[in-house]
Amino acid sequence: MAQSAFDRRRINGPEESFSPVFDDTDNTPQATTRHGRSPADIRPIFLQPGLINQANGSAYIETEKTKIACAVYGPRQSKTTTYSEKGRLNVEVKFAPFSCTRRRAPLRDAEDRSIAVSIHQAIVSSVRLELFPKSSIDVFITVIENDGLEGCIASGSIAASAALADAGIELLGLVASCSVAVCGTQLWLDPTEDEARASKATLILACMPALGNITSVWQSGQTNIDEAARCVEICQERCADIHSIVAESLLQSAKANLL
Amino acid sequence: MSATGSPSTCVKAPPSQEETDSLRAQIFQRLHPRTYLERFLTENVRPDGRTFDEWRTVHVNVGSISTADGSALVRVGDTTIVCGIKAEIAEPELDRPDDGFLVPNIDLPAICSPKFKPGPPSEEAQVLSDRLNEVLISSGILSLPSLCIQPGRAVWTLYVDATCINYDGNVFDATLLAMVAALKNVTLPKASFDEETGRTTCSRKTRAPLQLQLSRAPYSASFGIVDASQPCVLSDPTSFEEPLLDTSLSVIVDESGNLISVSELGMGASIEEQTILLECIADAKKRGLQMQKLI
Repeated sequence: MAQSAFDRRRINGPEESFSPVFDDTDNTPQATTRHGRSPADIRPIFLQPGLINQANGSAYIETEKTKIACAVYGPRQSKTTTYSEKGRLNVEVKFAPFSCTRRRAPLRDAEDRSIAVSIHQAIVSSVRLELFPKSSIDVFITVIENDGLEGCIASGSIAASAALADAGIELLGLVASCSVAVCGTQLWLDPTEDEARASKATLILACMPALGNITSVWQSGQTNIDEAARCVEICQERCADIHSIVAESLLQSAKANLL
Repeated sequence: MSATGSPSTCVKAPPSQEETDSLRAQIFQRLHPRTYLERFLTENVRPDGRTFDEWRTVHVNVGSISTADGSALVRVGDTTIVCGIKAEIAEPELDRPDDGFLVPNIDLPAICSPKFKPGPPSEEAQVLSDRLNEVLISSGILSLPSLCIQPGRAVWTLYVDATCINYDGNVFDATLLAMVAALKNVTLPKASFDEETGRTTCSRKTRAPLQLQLSRAPYSASFGIVDASQPCVLSDPTSFEEPLLDTSLSVIVDESGNLISVSELGMGASIEEQTILLECIADAKKRGLQMQKLI
């Protein structure tokens, strides 16, 4: 991967280096089955709030290969000089260089930012920002291992919401999020990278199951309205299950802290 | 933290005696960190309950990241470091046609501590990366010619990237351990260079581990010295203790107990300095042996 400029703030390698080319790269089979998962199965979720003790709140989420750490700092004084009646919610997403199949050079690219915007959108309407004038809440997310962008955004939103709750920031409700891929006539929930690549459309839904509100829908690819509506419906159903997992893990960690 | 400025509607019960005491201690710690630490040290104990020469427990988990060619997660107390190694293929330097590249970097992102801001690497991260690079190169754990695929044409480049997830002091020791553990975990695909096309292709089936000089594997042990009423040598300082140290000392030994590097920053503790240094080196050797067993 060509580096645009010599970076004296890091240890530099050679000017150019390339990911290895494998002898069988051309004939990788397209995902047509789910390797033992039924279409409505999501990957098992492991969620642990409060692992990062330096932060006000944090959460670590793992769904098979996808591994994401999230920390919340704040509410703290806003850096901007202008007065604002509402608090600001900042979301920053960072990919570890080793998190994807190709090495990600440490310079910021557009993908980090677009994921940050999606996660921001998913959680911003759940936070009672009107309670924090002149302050900002910083949500930092580090992707340690990535297996599909859709799953990454969904898991990132869940982790961010759990971390906000762990930080004791007032929320209207916990945000749960789920993604779905349209593969032929089937709807595959929580697709992996290979499955998303084989699909014709994907949809990511974020909602607050406790209130029955949707906070964000992001659909890309080709589908029709009926199918998209069906996607929203099955995602919403699954989000209710995810919500109970998040609530349970928050309860467990709060109980453990009391002891 | 949650109570600050939130116009909560529920009426809170008045805090108990225990709560007000712990709140007072917290405020005292924030306002007078040095005095806070010294009061503990006069009682021969540290704020986290350890004795001076006690090390935090270390957990190591290797190979959990499938997108990396080798990986390790290390926890030293609450300090958490994830290290992943990606191998790429590059052309060697003209004057060193056989040598591959080893590129270690540590990132201290904003997620790990309120000290750090998002953006380019902080000064601390730059200094740490440089020290890690120096230690890994000078220890000779990996001979660079062993990364050669075809002399003058293609060599492996190992990007050793570590990310700090939780910054609770002594990041250097933890990162070095994570990098060594990840290097031990690396497997490279069998690569063959095609003279005609000038391309290197790898086989997905056969992978081999690196040829490491394991007897040269470096292990670091860091100490901090606080000149209170008498000089106190604290092993494995936390993030609270680190900024209050008068001297910080890092001793790096290899697997056979040879010294690789000793660095001392700050004012040494007067006459006893030399005995302290010798004690630290002896302690570092013991610590090195313990860490070897973990990875």
